[in-house]
Amino acid sequence: MEFLLQMRKVSKTYPGVKALDGVQIAIKPGEVHALIGENGAGKSTLMKILVGVESADEGAEIEFAGEKVHFSKPIDATLKGISIIYQDLSLFPNLSVAENICIGRENAGKGYYRVQWKQMKLLAEKTLAELGLKVDVSLPLGKLSIAKQQLVAIARSLAFDSKLIVMDEPTSSLSSGEVEHLYNIIEDLRKRGISIIYISHKLKELFTVADRFTVLRDGKFVGSYDKDDMNEDKLISLMVGRKVEVINREENKGGEEVLRVEALSKRGNFKDISFSLHAGEIIGITGLVGAGRTELAQALFALNKPDSGNIYISGKKVDLKSSGDAVKHKMAYIPESRQTQGLFLRQSIIDNISVTVFDQMLNRFGFIERAREKQLASEYIQILDIRPPLAEMNAGQLSGGNQQKIVIAKWLSTEPKILIIDEPTNGIDIGAKTEIHKLLRRLTNKGIGIIVISSELPEVLAVSDRILVMKQGRISGEIAAAEATQEKIMNFAVLGAG
Amino acid sequence: MKSFFKSKEMGILAVLVFLCTVLSVNNPIFLTLDNIQDILKANSVLAILAMGMTLVIITGGIDVSVAAITSAAMVITGHSMKLLPDSPISILLALIIAVASGLIIGLLNGTLISRLKIPPIVTTLGTMSIINGSILYFTNGVFLNSSNFPQVFIRFSDIKLAGISILVYIIALVTLITWYVMKYMMIGRSVFAIGGNPVSAVRAGIHLERTQLFVYGYMGFLAGIAAMTQMMYTKSVDPNGMLGFELTVISAVVIGGANILGGNGSVWGTLLGVLLLGVMQNGLILSHIDTYWQKVIVGLVILSAVSYDYLQHKRAESKQLKVEVQA
Repeated sequence: MEFLLQMRKVSKTYPGVKALDGVQIAIKPGEVHALIGENGAGKSTLMKILVGVESADEGAEIEFAGEKVHFSKPIDATLKGISIIYQDLSLFPNLSVAENICIGRENAGKGYYRVQWKQMKLLAEKTLAELGLKVDVSLPLGKLSIAKQQLVAIARSLAFDSKLIVMDEPTSSLSSGEVEHLYNIIEDLRKRGISIIYISHKLKELFTVADRFTVLRDGKFVGSYDKDDMNEDKLISLMVGRKVEVINREENKGGEEVLRVEALSKRGNFKDISFSLHAGEIIGITGLVGAGRTELAQALFALNKPDSGNIYISGKKVDLKSSGDAVKHKMAYIPESRQTQGLFLRQSIIDNISVTVFDQMLNRFGFIERAREKQLASEYIQILDIRPPLAEMNAGQLSGGNQQKIVIAKWLSTEPKILIIDEPTNGIDIGAKTEIHKLLRRLTNKGIGIIVISSELPEVLAVSDRILVMKQGRISGEIAAAEATQEKIMNFAVLGAG
Repeated sequence: MKSFFKSKEMGILAVLVFLCTVLSVNNPIFLTLDNIQDILKANSVLAILAMGMTLVIITGGIDVSVAAITSAAMVITGHSMKLLPDSPISILLALIIAVASGLIIGLLNGTLISRLKIPPIVTTLGTMSIINGSILYFTNGVFLNSSNFPQVFIRFSDIKLAGISILVYIIALVTLITWYVMKYMMIGRSVFAIGGNPVSAVRAGIHLERTQLFVYGYMGFLAGIAAMTQMMYTKSVDPNGMLGFELTVISAVVIGGANILGGNGSVWGTLLGVLLLGVMQNGLILSHIDTYWQKVIVGLVILSAVSYDYLQHKRAESKQLKVEVQA
């Protein structure tokens, strides 16, 4: 048997998006196989299809241990010998360590009716000992550090006699010493003939642990490569082959400074962040997932209080105590999950746009004046080209792109000087993306300073005047738009240096 | 044993012991066997319902229809008993009728919650209202008293073994059964798993719907037992007697350390929560304090217990790092 697992012709279509397009991957027994690609390249979707969380489109072929398989539930895959360790670990903080390892089989298989606490403890202690972890297995899992919880998750796979373990960003919450320990364990598993699919953004890590690489890009299979034929530069260029959609734009006129941040730090979030934003300028902040971008954005908008550092707005030092303060200082923040955090889906476009400026909609008796709201809404429907242009329509009935425009309109109606927007085109189709990009550029003509946070490099390149790259909570590089390329950004994001 | 002393249950026990000490110093009657047994008997219905509610709350759900289900089971059983002969078999029949009525309504709740995915609070608010309305329609609020019951039922209610009322044995039995289910049966562990992390639970092959159905079914089953117990204790059926009692049940469970958001809770904690409520009530009566104050004090106890929990949780959360910042 040359391959333990073969997946071929795997496609997955979501409404409006093709997440995977004829992807393939083949895993040899006892190898560590890195699955790599940019955010949204389709790695997670592929793994979800493998274990049966998602189902693939018609025509996909999956062969495991020499037989054709199709899983409809993750537990079926687990019982066949494929375990997945999710980035969030998918454990139970309220249950004991032993139970977490034996979950679903607390009766030690079908033989017993009663939960076999003793056997469970023995099995848990045995598997944890194999991983070099000594803990009281009757403690609730939540009392353990994340690193130890990670080992518990691995122990669970071992307890199920897995032949293939998928690890999704296993080091995302481990310190460097703990990462070393994880490498040793992976080496050990490999010696026992267990195959591992290792998903990570950290290239250094991949070159330490992986034997082979499979690269995905935009839901397509780029290729599989041996470690010997691969180096970091090559890997980066394989990951980012995407074309940038160029937007015609005028050079940034460089207005006065609207926001300056000095040495902003928060423990466990970000450190020593300093930059300034000028009127009419767009700064793109990018980096890998977990680099601290969103945490920083929330700190600027006083949703996440920094430990130290200063924020200046229009040259004056400010102490923002709440997001209300931030709004008073003409700041606006559009979060990533606009459906849950940014919109009232069951209310009309009018209500959504006017909600931020209710106090300006009142007549002299203190009642909201509907006519004024309507006028405001139709103004923004026109400016932002919201379609259909029906102010009374519920926000939930609009397409993703138009919903995003409503969220933008809602904040523009406060006439902000600083607009922070997190993943502005997340979940929006390509055409609408370009439109949002153009819209953001147009807004700069009004003298608004904009911070765009995005993990999509083409997007950052398309809209930004300047790009700040974050890595592990710090700004690892600043690149002017004229000199920026995806490779340069990736180098800062992954290696921390140009 | 070491973990027991650090547990939440220990904290509640400490408060309970403290309260008992104060009360017995104040009033020598408090620590008599008779008084303690009175407390247990008076809170037997609360204890039984709180056991079921513990399971419901561990899954992250809530059941506000328990008092209504208990009343319904009482009304149905009470009126059936008018027709039953004065023979020991009637006790068994009454029990079956009570349990069956409770179980059926509980399973109905469970079906609506697990299959139709109606949020538990909405489902049980709905069934509560329907049941309460129907009870009024059928009974016109009329009481049944001991003259409506077979003599054998009255004698059965007064049984004592080794000087201890049968009601106390019922509490013990229900507590032990619930403890066994939660500790040693797969379904019990599923209840904890679902409350801890429903997504992971489903990934691990745990049947979410089946577990929910079980939890609300068991709640209904215990409401049937509670109906029987209430009739034995009061030797009457008051169709309106339980109105609002669901809130006391939920209070006992929350005071007992269960997390209203699911995941945590224990049979012993709940039992202590029930005792704490019972002792407080008894103590206030013995101290001649107005019963209105009891509600105020219960409220304060709930709020302080829950805020303590919340602060602990918040402290633990703030220690957790989001991003591994480069040194």
